[in-house]
Amino acid sequence: MLEVKNLTKTLPNGRKLLDGISFKVKKGEFVGILGSSGAGKTLTLRCLNGLLKPDSGSVIIRDELDRPFDICKINKRELRRVRQKIGVIFQGYHLVKRLSALENVMIGKLGQINTFRSLFYGFTDAEAEQALKALDKVKMSQLAGSMTGNLSGGEMQRVAIARAIFQSPTLLLADEPISNLDPSNAKTIMKMIKPLSEHMPVIGVFHQPEMTAKYCTRVIAIKEGQIIYDGDPKLSNKRLEEIYGEELELIEQQEHLLAAIAK
Amino acid sequence: MSMAKLTLPSKKYRQKMTVFSAVVVAVALACIYTNFNPLGIFLEFHYVRDLLGEMTPPNYHVLSDNSSTVMAILQTLSMAFLGTLYGGVIAVIIAFLAASNTMPFRAIRLTARFALSFLRVIPILVVILIFVIAVGPSTFAGMLTLVIVTVGNFGKLFTEMIENVDNPPAEAIFSVGASRMQVIRYSIIPQILPTLIANLLFAFDVNIRAAIGLGIFGGGGIGFQLQLAKSVLHYKDVTAIVTLIIIMVIVVEKISDYLRRRILGEGKLR
Amino acid sequence: MFSFKRYRKFILPLIILLTVTEGAAVICGATFGKLFEGLYRGIAFFGNMYPPDWSAFSEMLEPALQSIVIAFLGTVFGALMSIVFALLAASNLSHPWVRAVTRFLIGLERSIPEIVILILLVAAFGLGAMPGVVALSLGCIGMLGKLLADIIEEIDPLMIESIESVGGNKLQVIVFGVLPQIIPNIISYTLFRFEINIRLSVLLGAVGAGGVGYELDYSFGMLQYHRAFTAMIIIIAMVFGTEQFSYYLRKKLKMEGALK
Repeated sequence: MLEVKNLTKTLPNGRKLLDGISFKVKKGEFVGILGSSGAGKTLTLRCLNGLLKPDSGSVIIRDELDRPFDICKINKRELRRVRQKIGVIFQGYHLVKRLSALENVMIGKLGQINTFRSLFYGFTDAEAEQALKALDKVKMSQLAGSMTGNLSGGEMQRVAIARAIFQSPTLLLADEPISNLDPSNAKTIMKMIKPLSEHMPVIGVFHQPEMTAKYCTRVIAIKEGQIIYDGDPKLSNKRLEEIYGEELELIEQQEHLLAAIAK
Repeated sequence: MSMAKLTLPSKKYRQKMTVFSAVVVAVALACIYTNFNPLGIFLEFHYVRDLLGEMTPPNYHVLSDNSSTVMAILQTLSMAFLGTLYGGVIAVIIAFLAASNTMPFRAIRLTARFALSFLRVIPILVVILIFVIAVGPSTFAGMLTLVIVTVGNFGKLFTEMIENVDNPPAEAIFSVGASRMQVIRYSIIPQILPTLIANLLFAFDVNIRAAIGLGIFGGGGIGFQLQLAKSVLHYKDVTAIVTLIIIMVIVVEKISDYLRRRILGEGKLR
Repeated sequence: MFSFKRYRKFILPLIILLTVTEGAAVICGATFGKLFEGLYRGIAFFGNMYPPDWSAFSEMLEPALQSIVIAFLGTVFGALMSIVFALLAASNLSHPWVRAVTRFLIGLERSIPEIVILILLVAAFGLGAMPGVVALSLGCIGMLGKLLADIIEEIDPLMIESIESVGGNKLQVIVFGVLPQIIPNIISYTLFRFEINIRLSVLLGAVGAGGVGYELDYSFGMLQYHRAFTAMIIIIAMVFGTEQFSYYLRKKLKMEGALK
C-alpha cells in the first residue's frame, strides 16, 4: 500500500508547484493521474520514488515485512533498497539503447543483486531465463536478443513493462507511458499494464482521459498543484473542462478514432 | 524486425573475458619488451619528489634577468603566427590546384594531390632537422617547418572544402560568361572564407604547441630556453618557463576560440 | 564610394594583421622573399638526402617496433585514465565541484605540449621508454577526456534516472547505462588518438624516449643523411600503416552494432 501525505513544493518566487497532495492507493487499484501540462502530475509521480524531494510531506511505502518507509526522508542506501521493489515505466526512450532487450529487463534487478557481482560478472543464466519469461508475458521473447535501440516505441515500452514484471515489485509507477505511441500501440500497452494491478498498486500519469476512462479503476486530477478530483475514472465533460480548460473537442475526436480501431 | 541471436549471459561473460585477457596479455608483453613498469611511477616516486624539490619555488626572474625569455616568447608566437599565415596561404593555393572543380589539368591536379599527401605524412622531426641545416638553427627554421606542417595538416581539408562547394552559384556565374578565375573569386571564395579563417585560427592554436617543441630541436623560441635551462639543471627556471608556456598556450587558445566563435557563430566547428 | 563602404569593416582587421605580420617577420627574420628562399633551400637539401642508405634498414626495424609499442602502451593507459577523468568530468554523473576541478585539470593538460611533459619526466626518471609512455598517456587525457566527457553529458538523463529508479547505484549506472552507450565512441576516439601518438612517439623519441625517432635524430647528428632518409621512410611507413589500420578497424566496428 502507498500513502501520500501533504506533498508541497514551492518555487523561490512563491509559486506552489505542489500544494498539499494527499491520497492512498492499495493493491488492486490502477490509478490514472490527469491534469493539464504543468499542473504537477509528473512532479507528484517523481516524489513517489524519490527522484524529487518535496519541501514537506511524506510518501509512505511498506516493504515485504510491512515496515513503513517514508521515501522523502530515508537515506540513499535505504532508498536504493526500497526502489528494488518499485517498478517504473517512463515516457519515451529510457532503456539503454545499446543493450539487448533481455539485458534491459535484467537491469530491473540491479538493486537486488550484489554490486560487485553485477559489475564484474554480470547476470546469471538463471536470471536470464526469468527475464525471458517476463518478456514472454509481453510477447517480446522473439526479440529478446535485439538491440533495444532498433525496436519500435511500442516494443520498447513492452520491454519496459517486462523489466517491471521481472522485478516483482510492490508498486508500479508509469510516467506518460503511452504519450509517444500511436493509438493502437497505446491500447496494447494499457492492456498489458492493467492486469498487473491485481498484484500491486499501479499509478500512472496520463494525458489521455479516454484511456484512463477505459482502463483505470480510479482517476486523480491535479490542477495547479492541488487535487481537484479523486474518484470514478469516467469523467463527465464538465469535469474534463475543469481539469483541462478547453480541450473537450480533442477528446471527442480521439474517442471516434479509438472506436474505429477497436474492431 | 529480424530476430537477433540470443546469447546467454554466461557466454557473453566468457566472450568479454577472452577479449579482456587478450588485451592484458598484449599490454603485459609490450611492457616487458620496453622495460616499462606501470607501477614504476609509484615505486620510484622519490625521483619525482626530489625533482619537485629542486623545481620549486619557480624562478620568475628569468623574465627580468635578461630579455631573452621575453624575446623567446615573442619568437615562438611569431613563429607560430607566420607559419600559420604563410602556410595557410600556400595551402589554399595548392588546394585550388588540387581540387577537381578548379583545376581541369589532370597532371597538375595529381601532382598537387601527391604533394599534399606527402607533406601530410612526412614526420615533423625530419622537417625541422632539415631546415636547421638548410638555414641554420633559428626561429626562421622553426617558422619554415610550421609552414610545411600547416600545408600538410590542412591542404587536404581545404581541397575537400573547395570541392564540396555548392555548384549552382558557380554555374550561374559561368552562364553569364565569366572566366574560371572570376568563378573562384565570386563563388567559391565567399563560400569557404569563414570556415577557412576558422581553420587557420585553429591551426594557430595547434602550431603554437608545435612551435614550443620545435624550439628544442633548434627552432628557437621558448622551447629552446626550456631545453637550455634543463640542460644546465636550472630547474627553478624550468618551472617558471613551463608556467609561462602554459599561460601562453591558454591565452592563444582563448583568443582562437573567441575569434572562431565570432566568425562561425555558436558551436565552434572545424 | 560604395566599394569603400563595403570593405570598411575589413580595414581595421587588415591593418592589425599587416602590423602583426611585419612585427613577426622582423622577429623571425622572415620577410616574404626569404620565405621562398628558405623553402627552396630546404627542398634542395631534402633532395640531397636521397638515396636512402638501405644497409641501415634492418637496424631501424627494432627501434621502429619500440616506437610503435611505446605509442600502443601510451594509448592504452591514456584511454583508461581518460575514461576515469571523463566520468568525473561529466555534469550528469558528478558533483559540481568534482566536475569543475576535473574539467580544469583536463583543460590544463591540454595546454601542456607532450614534449614539455616528457622533458620534465626525463629530468626525473632519466631516458628510456618509461617517460615516453607516461608522457603519451598523460597527453591523451586532454583530448580523450574532454571528448568522452562531452559524449557522456549527451546521454539522455532519463536513461540514467531509469536505472536509478530500479535501485541501481552510481557504479551500476555507469557500467550498465553509460559505458554501453559510449563504447563505440571510446574505440573510435582511441584509435584516432593512436594515430596521433605514433607521430608523437617519433618526436618524443628524439628527446629521450628512444625508438626510431632517436635513430633519426642521431643520424642527423652524425651527418649520416642517407641513413636519416632511411629512418624517415620507415617512419612514413609506420604512420601510413597506422592510419590504414585505424581506418579499417573503425570501419569494421562501425558495421557491427551500428547505432547512434
